Amino acid sequence: MRRVLLVMTAVFVISLFAAGAFAEDFKLSIPLPLTGKQAKFGEMMKRSYEMAAEEINAKGGIKKKKIVLYFEDSGAKPETARAIVEKLIDVNKQPVIVGEYTSACAKAVAAVAEERKTPYLIVASADDDITRQHYKYVFRQNAVNAHYGDGVVDFLRRVVKPKTIAILYESSAFGTSGAEAMVKDAEKLGTRVLMKERYEAGSVDFRPLLSKVKAARPDVVYMVSYVMDASLLMKQIKELRVDAKLFAGGAAGFAIPEFIANAKDAAEYVISATLWTPQVKFPGAREFAEKYKKHYGDYPSYHGASAYSALYVLKNALDRAKTWTPDKIRDALKATNMKTVFGPIKFEDREGYQNQNFMDTLVIQVQKGAFETIWPAQYASKKYIYPIPSWRERR
Amino acid sequence: MTSAQLEVLLQTLIAGVLLGGLYALIGIGMTLIMGVMKIINLAHGELMMVAMYIAYLLFSLFHLDPYLSVFIAAPLLFLLGMAIQKFLINPVLKVESILPENQVILTVGLGMVLANLATIIFTSDYLSTPVDYATKAWYLSDFWRSSPIELSLSYPWSVSFLIAVVITLCLGFFLTKTDLGKSIRATAQDSEAALLMGVNVDRMRVITFGLGSGLVGAAGCLLIPIYYLYPDLGGQFTLIAFVITILGGLGSTVGAIIGGVVLGVFESLTATYIGMGWAPVGRFVIFVAALIFLPGGIASLLQRKRFGR
Amino acid sequence: MKRYLPLMVLMLLVLLPLAGLSTYAMHILILVIMWSVIGMAWNLLGGYCGQVSFGHAAFFGVGAYTSGILYQKLGISAWWGIPLSIIVVAAFALVIGFICLRLRGPFFALATLAVGVILRVSAENLTGLTQGDLGIMIRTRTWVGKTWYFYIILALAAVTFFLVRKTIDSKLGYYFVAIREDQDAAESLGIPATLYKSIALCISGVLTGMAGAFYMNYMGYIDPKVVFALHDISIVTIMVVMVGGAATYWGPIIGSVIMVLLAELIRSIPVLGVAYQTLFGILLIVIIIFLPNGIAGDWPKLKRLFGLRGAS
Repeated sequence: MRRVLLVMTAVFVISLFAAGAFAEDFKLSIPLPLTGKQAKFGEMMKRSYEMAAEEINAKGGIKKKKIVLYFEDSGAKPETARAIVEKLIDVNKQPVIVGEYTSACAKAVAAVAEERKTPYLIVASADDDITRQHYKYVFRQNAVNAHYGDGVVDFLRRVVKPKTIAILYESSAFGTSGAEAMVKDAEKLGTRVLMKERYEAGSVDFRPLLSKVKAARPDVVYMVSYVMDASLLMKQIKELRVDAKLFAGGAAGFAIPEFIANAKDAAEYVISATLWTPQVKFPGAREFAEKYKKHYGDYPSYHGASAYSALYVLKNALDRAKTWTPDKIRDALKATNMKTVFGPIKFEDREGYQNQNFMDTLVIQVQKGAFETIWPAQYASKKYIYPIPSWRERR
Repeated sequence: MTSAQLEVLLQTLIAGVLLGGLYALIGIGMTLIMGVMKIINLAHGELMMVAMYIAYLLFSLFHLDPYLSVFIAAPLLFLLGMAIQKFLINPVLKVESILPENQVILTVGLGMVLANLATIIFTSDYLSTPVDYATKAWYLSDFWRSSPIELSLSYPWSVSFLIAVVITLCLGFFLTKTDLGKSIRATAQDSEAALLMGVNVDRMRVITFGLGSGLVGAAGCLLIPIYYLYPDLGGQFTLIAFVITILGGLGSTVGAIIGGVVLGVFESLTATYIGMGWAPVGRFVIFVAALIFLPGGIASLLQRKRFGR
Repeated sequence: MKRYLPLMVLMLLVLLPLAGLSTYAMHILILVIMWSVIGMAWNLLGGYCGQVSFGHAAFFGVGAYTSGILYQKLGISAWWGIPLSIIVVAAFALVIGFICLRLRGPFFALATLAVGVILRVSAENLTGLTQGDLGIMIRTRTWVGKTWYFYIILALAAVTFFLVRKTIDSKLGYYFVAIREDQDAAESLGIPATLYKSIALCISGVLTGMAGAFYMNYMGYIDPKVVFALHDISIVTIMVVMVGGAATYWGPIIGSVIMVLLAELIRSIPVLGVAYQTLFGILLIVIIIFLPNGIAGDWPKLKRLFGLRGAS
């Protein structure tokens, strides 16, 4: 027993020193959820960071320094995420923080980063509030949740012109703020919200909810679901033959490859908001998506693309920063204006947000079992299919 | 009541009954384990997760239908459960300790290990077995053309419901009619008396835990075609199993299935008429109510009837 | 010597921030102390009185939300949540006790588990009061440094430690243990078991709730899934006590060192990757098989084990 303990301590101590052996490297530790319910996205982002680091190193690194990535599992727990970041700032003296995923953890990290005056680049946490706190050191590269649905709303306005809408959303910060944003947008469109219903994420049976939707006969069913609830919803919609002019999803669960893999033909014609697609015409996007697919078997969703380009944003800022102190890096990040696979990135103060990157959100549609970009027109890979056939006609 | 309202009500009831079957199946293994040993097994859902990964592997490697993989996954889980009881739980149960609940740590630790191993082996990706009958259903309008309302009955959900009933009946038969089953019941009622009567209580516990695990394994195989799979899915199903166990009555198989249907219908009605966000509250309110007002669960109601008291 | 051990430990801890520890170390220390508070509180009810609760997240969450709602809805400093949570949580504890305490053993455990879940889902749904899943965020926390947070939670821990000790040494403590050992026998001796169980639940709940209110102030962000978590709060609480040693004064403290500090150390071993959870799970299993009464509870056994090793 004592020997085991001794070995463990030794391993721990050695690992601490090992991390300090190569003074020439730029060591970057990234907190991510690698266990627990959110681990899937943590894993996808980890792979994407690794791909980006490899490419940057192959081209000479950042100011001739090699990036060495370490990943720390926060398990989507705010206390742990905070512990990691306290360690990075205080013990590792890391001048900049990148990472985390859930909004709860990002909020915990953002508060520490601001207090300790260390820049923090948020990659995929969507909760609106994070960049509305007048933080100076917190930057966000992905769109705020309130804007996730912009593309879909535009599509509704120009093409569908719905009179009524039903909103179903999961019980989480992401679902709640997505649903709230859609309620506001519907008001602007002159669309009546027939129902706005929350459900517990991970539910098995949505039929009671869906039979209510069916009876309400909305023109559009808009659903905000983080992960696989999306596919269960569509499968059960198909089974109950709930017909609507359009089924729309609010990113996340509707925009990951598993959605089609699980829902199969029930996913057909469903549109979804997304921040990025493999077909999008940003330089390097296609290459990144294909390379990811070659290694891991499937296309990445926008989470991966955002993580991948985050390292390039960081490289860009570090290249411009005279010295790598938190304040200089912060100023460099603030001045960022570059094109990435995730789209053009610029951190602006507007609409009550600070250091927020604003981007066009896209609309994808499942056509013949694959995601196609359909809106806005300049990004479209295929023309949208609308109106969609009823479930009865599809057999 | 308009026909649209009627349709919603009937569809809700159908959904509730089918959901109940699934719940019963998930809970039946736990009711057996808890009935015999009075232990709180927090790794129940993780055991189901293991069975689901087995079913997934069989499907993706050999294209074996998940329903058929019951015959492989359940026996494997039976062995796993026996091993867990024999090497981990029995030693802890035997030692005197201040709080008998210390086995909780054991099952939590076990659940952590199982979920983490699944993450390491399969990554955290969401997996599924896309079978073509996943969204198949029978429709009322197919049988009755001029029906004013439309109802649907899911094919895979009905199958799991039927299998749940069959398993319940078989298990009930096993427990009441075979010697082994009688010994298990004797252990459940009074383990010390059973020991005096020559029942090998340790062995009965090992078999019970194996059976319970095998049953939840079967539940996993029936769940995977209609759900999906990832390493961390166990927790919420463990909770459902607790509710079924208490609502049905410890150790009662018939109680579990009736309890499952009652819970399923109650939850579905809550979802339709109050809001789906409140459905889990409904679930646990009924659970606390059963604990307090119906200590023996539904099984005690059945018993009272049977003896005419 | 042994009598003064708690005071010596306290003095040591009071002086500790002067050593110039990193904020990371301070953060972990604060978490360790916070978990000892929750563990000691749970121990009073579970370890001494024998009522194993699976729902201490209910008290933790109510305490945290008391603080959060004060800040969010009334614009009052969240620190007032700590004193106010005494009243709010006590009221909750009385209701929960009224419902659950008529049950025994595993049934009480399951009822409290259900209460925890009911409160979480209610907090998610009562958006007018709690902001639901969006959670409550404090815009600027009171201090950037850790020292004051450390002293506040340390003070709470010291109060808890001595309160638990005083309670257990008093008549109340004897009643608690009598109820744990045999409730029927205790009742036949004229001990009103339900009353004393309610007292234990109330004290235990209030202390846990104060820790929750501290959490709100310290972390600056709460949402229902974080503070009403079944696994991350309720079950970790049980593990803190049982790994350390139920019904011992030092058990919860040792337990929280293991569950927080050791868990963090194991988590940070880079070679393990995510497999650290397997290692930690196995560690828990090994502890409970070899030390069924926890580390403090089986201290003599441990000493013997290591003593023998030393001799051979």
